Amino acid sequence: MTTPAPLLVSKPAEPLALGVDLPMVDQPAVPFIEIETLRAKEFIPAAKEALGSLIAEQGQAKVIRPVFNWAGRNSLFPLHWGLACCAIEFAAAFGARWDAERFGVVPRSSPRQCDVMIVNGTVTWKVAHKLITLYEQMPEPKWVIAMGNCATGGGPFRTAYSVVPGVDKLVPVDVYIAGCPPRPEAMLDGILELEKLIRERKE
Amino acid sequence: MQPDDVSRVLAPALGPKLLAVEPFAGMAGRVRFERGAALELFPRVRDDLGFRHLSMVGGIDWVDHREVFYVVWSDAAHQYLLLSTDVPADNPRVETASGVWPSANWHERETWELVGIEFDNHPDLRHLLTPDGYEFRPLLRSFKLHEPEELEVKTRHV
Repeated sequence: MTTPAPLLVSKPAEPLALGVDLPMVDQPAVPFIEIETLRAKEFIPAAKEALGSLIAEQGQAKVIRPVFNWAGRNSLFPLHWGLACCAIEFAAAFGARWDAERFGVVPRSSPRQCDVMIVNGTVTWKVAHKLITLYEQMPEPKWVIAMGNCATGGGPFRTAYSVVPGVDKLVPVDVYIAGCPPRPEAMLDGILELEKLIRERKE
Repeated sequence: MQPDDVSRVLAPALGPKLLAVEPFAGMAGRVRFERGAALELFPRVRDDLGFRHLSMVGGIDWVDHREVFYVVWSDAAHQYLLLSTDVPADNPRVETASGVWPSANWHERETWELVGIEFDNHPDLRHLLTPDGYEFRPLLRSFKLHEPEELEVKTRHV
């Protein structure tokens, strides 16, 4: 196994020209780091070989699964659809104030690009089979968050003539978020709960 | 337009099938007619009186009978007119208005599925708001709030 060339090249630190005597000026500045992508040609075969020997030593589930779980929980793409007033809070969570994208959560408009369905609102029997169609179009692995009281158990419309009493009658739900509607913080908390579930996923 | 003006146009054509024209809530009037006279009444209301826009169709359950009403609008008079007819509860049938005002189509589908009024010769009498195969008429007074599980079994269609 050849030793790959060093990947990091540091620039010499330049003193800050502020004209003010700051205490940090004398400290070594953080080096400017640049990755030389050309050297990936040499790096990737070496990394493959190292990873291969690691898998052979420790078993695939132990090595690969945490990597997939890490990637999955840090790039949760919810389906971008709104059913009722919870969708307003859902939308606010992606605005500047709460900024759910800092958790890697980006709403996508196609179910084929999503791995989490956030059911935000009252589900009626009329829309139930459309919800199931969207769920089935999502690629595995996939999760469902029931957001708000209506999606959790029908909410105030539980005894109404057209309302599904809880979306778990239709699709398997992983995380329930209480509230009518939940605040965006509560929705982000639910997403973080889901990330904990994904972290513990074994297969 | 006053109720008398409406009555002057409609009474000669409909005769005894026109039961009454009453003042009603700031509208041009409330026309009560026999349900068999629907197809004679609607074109006259649209062409002779100029109510060219059908605003809504609805139904009311009065327990011993049901009522079907049509709210029509005239651009020229800038007024609404209410047409209403009674149908028996055991045979709630009336002729469709969708041949005269095409916008009646969806309103009559909704009235059919929620109040149970049957519209004869309707071109497309399917469920609009409730799922296919839904057997309840939720806006009838005999409809009780169901336990969710009970309703779910009867409406499961997916």
